[in-house]
Amino acid sequence: MSEAREHEYDVLVLGAGPGGYTAAFRAADLGQRVALVERYPRLGGVCLNVGCIPSKALLHTASVIDQAAAMEEHGVSFGQPFIDIDKLRSFKNGVVDKLTGGLDGMARQRKVDIIQGTGAFDGPNAVRVETADGQKKLTFRNAIIAVGSQSLELGSMPWGDPRLMDSTDALELEDIPDQLLVIGGGIIGLEMACVYDALGSKVTVVELTPGLMPGTDPDLVKPLQRRISKRYASIHLETKVSQVDVADEGLVAHFEGKHSGTETFDRVLVAVGRTPNGGKINAKSAGVEVTSRGFIPTDQQMRTNVSHIFAIGDVVGQPMLAHKATHEGKVAAEVCAGEKSAFEARVIPSVAYTDPEIAWVGITEAEAKQQGMEYGVGKFPYAASGRAIGNDRTEGFTKLLFDKATDRIIGAGITGQYAGDLIAECALAIELGAEAGDIGLTIHPHPTLSESIGMAAEVFEGTVTDLYIPKKK
Amino acid sequence: MSNTIEIKVPDIGDFSDIPVIEVLVSEGDQVSAEDGLVTLESDKATMEVPAPEAGTIREMKLKLDDLVSEGDVVAVLELAATGDSVPVENDDSSAGEPEIESDSVEPEPEQDSRPEPETDSEPAVEQPSQNLPRVIGLEAVDPAKVPYASPVIRRFARELGVDLGRVAGSGSKGRITREDVSGFVKSVMAGAAAPQAATAGIGGLNLDFPSLPEFDFSRYGDIEKQSLTRIQKISAGHLHRNWVGIPHVTQNDQADITDMEAFRLANADEAIAQGFKLTPLVFLIKAMVASLKKFPQFNASLDSDGETLILKKYFNVGIAVDTPEGLMVPVITECDRKGIMELGAELAEISGRAREKKLKPQDIQGGCISISSLGGIGGTGFTPIINAPEVAILGVSRSSMKPVWDGESFKPRLMLPLSLSYDHRVIDGAVAARFTRFLASRLEDLRRLTL
Repeated sequence: MSEAREHEYDVLVLGAGPGGYTAAFRAADLGQRVALVERYPRLGGVCLNVGCIPSKALLHTASVIDQAAAMEEHGVSFGQPFIDIDKLRSFKNGVVDKLTGGLDGMARQRKVDIIQGTGAFDGPNAVRVETADGQKKLTFRNAIIAVGSQSLELGSMPWGDPRLMDSTDALELEDIPDQLLVIGGGIIGLEMACVYDALGSKVTVVELTPGLMPGTDPDLVKPLQRRISKRYASIHLETKVSQVDVADEGLVAHFEGKHSGTETFDRVLVAVGRTPNGGKINAKSAGVEVTSRGFIPTDQQMRTNVSHIFAIGDVVGQPMLAHKATHEGKVAAEVCAGEKSAFEARVIPSVAYTDPEIAWVGITEAEAKQQGMEYGVGKFPYAASGRAIGNDRTEGFTKLLFDKATDRIIGAGITGQYAGDLIAECALAIELGAEAGDIGLTIHPHPTLSESIGMAAEVFEGTVTDLYIPKKK
Repeated sequence: MSNTIEIKVPDIGDFSDIPVIEVLVSEGDQVSAEDGLVTLESDKATMEVPAPEAGTIREMKLKLDDLVSEGDVVAVLELAATGDSVPVENDDSSAGEPEIESDSVEPEPEQDSRPEPETDSEPAVEQPSQNLPRVIGLEAVDPAKVPYASPVIRRFARELGVDLGRVAGSGSKGRITREDVSGFVKSVMAGAAAPQAATAGIGGLNLDFPSLPEFDFSRYGDIEKQSLTRIQKISAGHLHRNWVGIPHVTQNDQADITDMEAFRLANADEAIAQGFKLTPLVFLIKAMVASLKKFPQFNASLDSDGETLILKKYFNVGIAVDTPEGLMVPVITECDRKGIMELGAELAEISGRAREKKLKPQDIQGGCISISSLGGIGGTGFTPIINAPEVAILGVSRSSMKPVWDGESFKPRLMLPLSLSYDHRVIDGAVAARFTRFLASRLEDLRRLTL
């Protein structure tokens, strides 16, 4: 008997973000009949439409503006930049269109059926989709939940006012506010602060905890903090915004904590985290367990408690990162196709595309300390890198953590220009179980910032010559 | 600040995934040190996990029927204020979760959608399937805890169903190579093809019985369904394997215990004074030890290669105990170093605990040979099933007065039927006959025990 005919689709993927479309494409490549349900007209989810990609397009622009300004010190003056915000916006939109359009094409080539509409479960083998042409019911043998997350809205805020933004709104570039308040000193808040600062806004950042980017080793954050402290209007740590009032002249923020008082801003960006969408798809009707916070627990094969229904990406849990979702999507698709796949990656790198960038992978130094682990550190400062000096960007360093018993790398943190690109080598080294010697003895091209990784390993081994480190007595 | 500690499942022997059969406290309860918190039931024993110190139960982490292993958290205990230095509970660090932006505005109390850092423990509580939960953080990279193998070798091992923790790496510093994984699979396959496998030379059997058809018994009259107890279910598997996998032969003999019985009765009061009943079983244990010393191949197990006998230099005797839940076999250790009275007291104590379901895993491990006595009930002989990896078991039936010809006349003698089942792969029939006779002769004249 033909089992596949029992249901319309072998695999139904709910949500077409990076995890969802990867899962759909991989399943199709493995011979499955695949449906991809997406509520928005364009594939790609938050990442391609209102997240990673457009923000990086703008951050690139910001970086060029800053670098051009820095040339003044080198005797090259470009003068004040003229910013055509509409043209910049359409460049950014063009980037998004190009990528999402590419996805449409690849879906067609793979014969993945795209159903546009909001999907929700209707029993353990069906999904109802509210489409423009009315309701459709699709049946499936396996389903992959990839419904992602959304910006957390703080209920106390005047969300009806267009001057109050979440990250999606901020990427729309309605205008360049003179005074911008960013609530939340994490990755998203600081990246958007970076864009608006370069475009000319006076930025204020407010953060509840004692440090920016909580959870990251403080030494990695320091170069960023030093740079933006000088550039931004202010950074208020251990401070909260208790209230935002709407006024004609702007939004009035009330500060409490280490910094207090009221200030008026032209726009306010709220970037205090993201919340998973697990509670919005009627998962109960399929018997799928959803936690009170909206996460959907899975096992290593991305199966939920209902074994033919999988979940991947932000809705599964932290970290909410596209590159985690794509890997999970492949695992789920392969398991659907009968392969013995599982999510076995040991580490997931994280990057803040601020200026300077901050990237880390594996365990942090704070975690190693807290767990009482016997670890050693190899740290190489950008100030000793010829390339960084030539770039006139000597703030930053590369730090590698090693297990003392085996000399194997267990974590890495890089802060400085291109840290996000450099961290990939460290992730590979951890997955392969590389020792400090493996990294130090691998010839890194000169003069590059990637040399700093080889040098950091040499620092740990005591073989470095580009630094003078007095012998320990 | 109050001190809390996590109470974990202690060393429970070689068991994992054993069920919680009873939860004895609930959140908020005050407990004293050594108060039981939950009852676990392993293969054949039950045990309570006690509170290490006095305090208040802040959080119960286990519920009825949860499966637990050593190290699992049972409960969080807030210590009664004593000011001692117990490690403070330290869990879910929010580190390493970059996309959670920290809050700078306090959400309204009624709005509870703030994504608190999701801890690893949440998916682990409701384990969706047999797969392991995903590991992040130190556990995932600590060289002491993860196999030394690259991602593609890890995938290769998964496809073959190989646990990399069992594969020895031949690469530099023990790195596991593709050849190591395939070599491991080959060695396992080769091992399974031989007539012996893991458990004392039993296994690899592939019996092609026709399956029993389904019967609808209710067609013939009223019926009632009763599920086997957990102990019955577990022992069913062991008994079936041992019965089918071991070539049993049962050697029957009789011991004249007229004198032994007189000696036993003469000392019965003294035993009662010490708080236990002196049973014939104690003398059987002593006679067994003497017989094992004389015939060491009975105090042995067949090695997993099926070609080597492992001889034991210790004398631990398992005693089959009939309990309401099913058959249990607690082990009395070092029987060679204990006197009759000491053994009698211990036998009474351990059988009592077996009936009260209070045996610890340690109580049922390490036996050399077993004795199953049905003498208190009746019978003239039976075939006991060997308790593998042991190689023999002594069955004892009911003693009775019989006329015994002493060469001149019939004398009334109290005769005890003995039934020794033995593993014929390890023990020859002649040796088994000699062993049983030797054992009987020790009972017939207890003075011989001193020889």
